[in-house]
Amino acid sequence: MRNFIFIIRRFFNLILFAVLEIICFILIAHSHTLQGDDIVSSANAVAGIAYKKQTDLFYYISLGKMNDSLLSENVRLRKLIDNYKTVDTLKDSAVHLALVNNDTTVHVVKYADYIYRTARVINNSVDGVNNYITINRGTSDGIARGMSVISGTGLVGRVEYVSAHFASILSILSIKQQVSAKLKDGTFKSTVWDNEKPDIFMMKDMPAEIKVRKGDSVFTTSFGNTFPPDVLIGTVTRGELNKKNGKQQLFLKPATNFRSLEYVYVLENVMRVEQKQLEDSAVKK
Amino acid sequence: MNVYFKNILRFCLIVILQVFILNKITLHWFTEPAGALFVPFVYPLFIILLPFETPVWALLFSGFLLGVTVDIFMTTAGIHACAMVLIAYLRTNVLNALMPRDLDEYMHQQPSIKNMGWVPFLVYSGFLILLHHLVYFVIESWSFSSFGSLMLKVVASFVTSMLFILAYILLFTRPNKIRG
Repeated sequence: MRNFIFIIRRFFNLILFAVLEIICFILIAHSHTLQGDDIVSSANAVAGIAYKKQTDLFYYISLGKMNDSLLSENVRLRKLIDNYKTVDTLKDSAVHLALVNNDTTVHVVKYADYIYRTARVINNSVDGVNNYITINRGTSDGIARGMSVISGTGLVGRVEYVSAHFASILSILSIKQQVSAKLKDGTFKSTVWDNEKPDIFMMKDMPAEIKVRKGDSVFTTSFGNTFPPDVLIGTVTRGELNKKNGKQQLFLKPATNFRSLEYVYVLENVMRVEQKQLEDSAVKK
Repeated sequence: MNVYFKNILRFCLIVILQVFILNKITLHWFTEPAGALFVPFVYPLFIILLPFETPVWALLFSGFLLGVTVDIFMTTAGIHACAMVLIAYLRTNVLNALMPRDLDEYMHQQPSIKNMGWVPFLVYSGFLILLHHLVYFVIESWSFSSFGSLMLKVVASFVTSMLFILAYILLFTRPNKIRG
């Protein structure tokens, strides 16, 4: 027994070394199985918190870059969605699904092709009678007068003035500009804004028999050639019956938050020039 | 400053330096831009800089602890700990071979360029770092099938690590006091 203790004391360091190395190899061996890797991994609490703190710190610094990449990604996705938006000319309805090419019973035209351009809002107002938004894109980036502008959530407005590197957008918070709108059931009416708050739009003189519920979506139409169809304008917050003429007023909450607008998309309708030419020649005759 | 406090502080500093800064830098050997990624390892410096008279068992435990800490952050499960325990065990022997006197005579001193001279310190730290890298990369790849690239990785990492370690030492050593 004394000899044993003596040996242990004499080779204590070597034994400790061997034990620690064996522990290491057990850990390594564990990590090579699927069930292992739980004890020593960055998924545990301490390392997780430390890494999270670090990521939080660098997240803020890289936010700008991240935003730009997300924007370009969004543009690509919107373009993809547009490729599936076609019109079945026989049934005269918008088709939102991919159509099989060899199906000869439907005749499909792509009626509009939109080019999306991203822009950053550099000046914004919500308190005027006609509110303008300035963006950091101009003619040098392909922006032209009359292009419609949307945000990630809904309609924003229309390009009104363009310079070489900037453009001024007349937002739909304007008494000048009425937006042709439609409800889910297809009722058309234009929305107006009575310069009270940037949070309330109205649709006046709706027939009383139309049942509208709170939360119903209101979309743009393609009438007037100003805006692309089916862009969300807002949602109905309440309806009010006007006793005098028996019609109802709808109050809308805009889908775009104009107070905190950061990025917008400018839409160029590729077919618009052709359409305009045709309509103008028809008027002349 | 208390020697324990000082070393605990250095432990934390080195782990933070290694995990949050150096691990984010991936270098590559300049001849093949796509291949042989590696990370410079500075954390074995903690073992290298412990005082001369530190007993072997303390070296082993602190090396194991440091290795496991780095393992936790790098999800390498014991590989760093294994290499660290090995160099912690061999440290005393290397120092004994390099130093002219017995280690117990250097009380309250730590291995440094000032105490050992440039060449012995570089040989001492270089040997331990090279051993650490060799063990680490061999266990990591766990095969000798691509022996050439493995050795390239070891040598490249060794050179970079030594550069970083020298930078660390030159940064964090107090300049010699002027003796009057």
